[in-house]
Amino acid sequence: MKVGLLRLGLLAVLLAVWEVAGRAANPLLAVPPSAVLPALRDLLLLRSYPDLPASLLLTLREIGTAYALAVAAGLGCGFVLGMYRLVGRAWGPMIAALYAVPAVVWYPSLMLFFGLDAASKIAFGFLLGFFPITLAVLAGVRQVNPQLVVVARAYGAGAVTVFRRVMLPSMLFTLVGGLRTGLALCVIGVVVGEILGSKAGMGALINHAYGLLRTGDYVALVLVTLALVVGSDVLASLLERHARRWTE
Amino acid sequence: MDGVKPGLASVRVAQLATVVVGLAAWELAARRLWVDPLFVPAPSAVAGAFLGIGGPALAGLADTLGKTAVAYVLSVALGASAGVAVGSVRLLRDVLSPYVIALYGIPKILVLPWIVLLLGYGTTPAIFYGTLHGVFPIMVLVMGAVRDVDRTLVTVARSLGATTWQLYWKVLLPAIVPSVLAGMRLGIVFCLLGVLVVEMFAGVRGMGHVMGSLANGFQAPELFAATGLVSAASIAIVLALDHLNDKLSHWRG
Repeated sequence: MKVGLLRLGLLAVLLAVWEVAGRAANPLLAVPPSAVLPALRDLLLLRSYPDLPASLLLTLREIGTAYALAVAAGLGCGFVLGMYRLVGRAWGPMIAALYAVPAVVWYPSLMLFFGLDAASKIAFGFLLGFFPITLAVLAGVRQVNPQLVVVARAYGAGAVTVFRRVMLPSMLFTLVGGLRTGLALCVIGVVVGEILGSKAGMGALINHAYGLLRTGDYVALVLVTLALVVGSDVLASLLERHARRWTE
Repeated sequence: MDGVKPGLASVRVAQLATVVVGLAAWELAARRLWVDPLFVPAPSAVAGAFLGIGGPALAGLADTLGKTAVAYVLSVALGASAGVAVGSVRLLRDVLSPYVIALYGIPKILVLPWIVLLLGYGTTPAIFYGTLHGVFPIMVLVMGAVRDVDRTLVTVARSLGATTWQLYWKVLLPAIVPSVLAGMRLGIVFCLLGVLVVEMFAGVRGMGHVMGSLANGFQAPELFAATGLVSAASIAIVLALDHLNDKLSHWRG
């Protein structure tokens, strides 16, 4: 109760400081919260950027495609790495070493290869989401108790039954966590890709507003994009909780 | 899952084979024009390009790594001290932790245009943004470590009459060293990421700018060489930190 009040109080103080500082500062550089609300209203009523729905839809489509590809490839690679010991032991550390490279170094190559359109954003989102999913599947497969698989096989269970009844329940915890991290990174990948260079989508709108010093619109666009990011994570966390309840 | 554990030798052979086969297939694909060499140059062409861009690329890399080093020192200092302060004071932790987690989680790229607007094109926004990337993972890790310090140790130290200073210095800090080290390992990649992103977005120098210009100029072999150089540098830095980490944990016992 007290903590909640203090949290709200802190937020109020921060907003007040932002308001005072924003009014004092150059309006091209800083926007007080009171000016953000009208900008947000104009944005949502499609007055400032009429192509907002199309841009949002494009960004969502890029995220969806990137995530679908990352899940398919990550599950496939993770299972292969987990099932074939030698491959897993050889490639696991190599994948982990690639993890030590900041992913954005690949983005210029992707842009060269796929161009400025949606494909390079999808590729970058895929690249970011693919690794955590693969590593989670790999870790999940390793968590499965091999004796359980042997016993199930001995009692005549087929590959599908072994997978559904033995493997999936014991690896689900790790797997679902990886799928959630993968989604968050796909979203970030697409947004980063769009801001680093694009012709359409939310990133392009943000860059447009920033380039023209329409700082109020810029903040409003950032808030809308942020809602998209947070919304996707909330959705993923609900699904995660649902999946975890199913195992118990 | 099942089967015998493969030995280290066969693992190394498999890794080497992967790299050799991969490079050979890539070279073959490029030579036979199965892929367009305008976009995917052969490894031999990349090696040649590496010699060609060597000078400017190394200068760019040095510039980038310099900014990263400053951002990294700031991230570790700010992240660790803020983590200890917020993690060890109950009220601060309860009030601030949702904010810290939120700041850690949101894509910082959204504020990048604003940072560039305020700080201009140059070294300052890169260091600022690199620090912004590095500080939160370290802070979150350290906060968690401080929270999870064995309560019994704290109670015993207190009942034996330890002062607050002694409690921090003799109990808390030794207990969180592993987490600080883990945070330092994680943080360096985030700092480098942040610096590279700024250089690509609004750089006039540094490796991110070099790579961005090469991509815009369709100089694929040079771009691949530059990408390889940054990746190798990053892996080397992380391995060096790992090595240091091992040494320190030996020393800690």
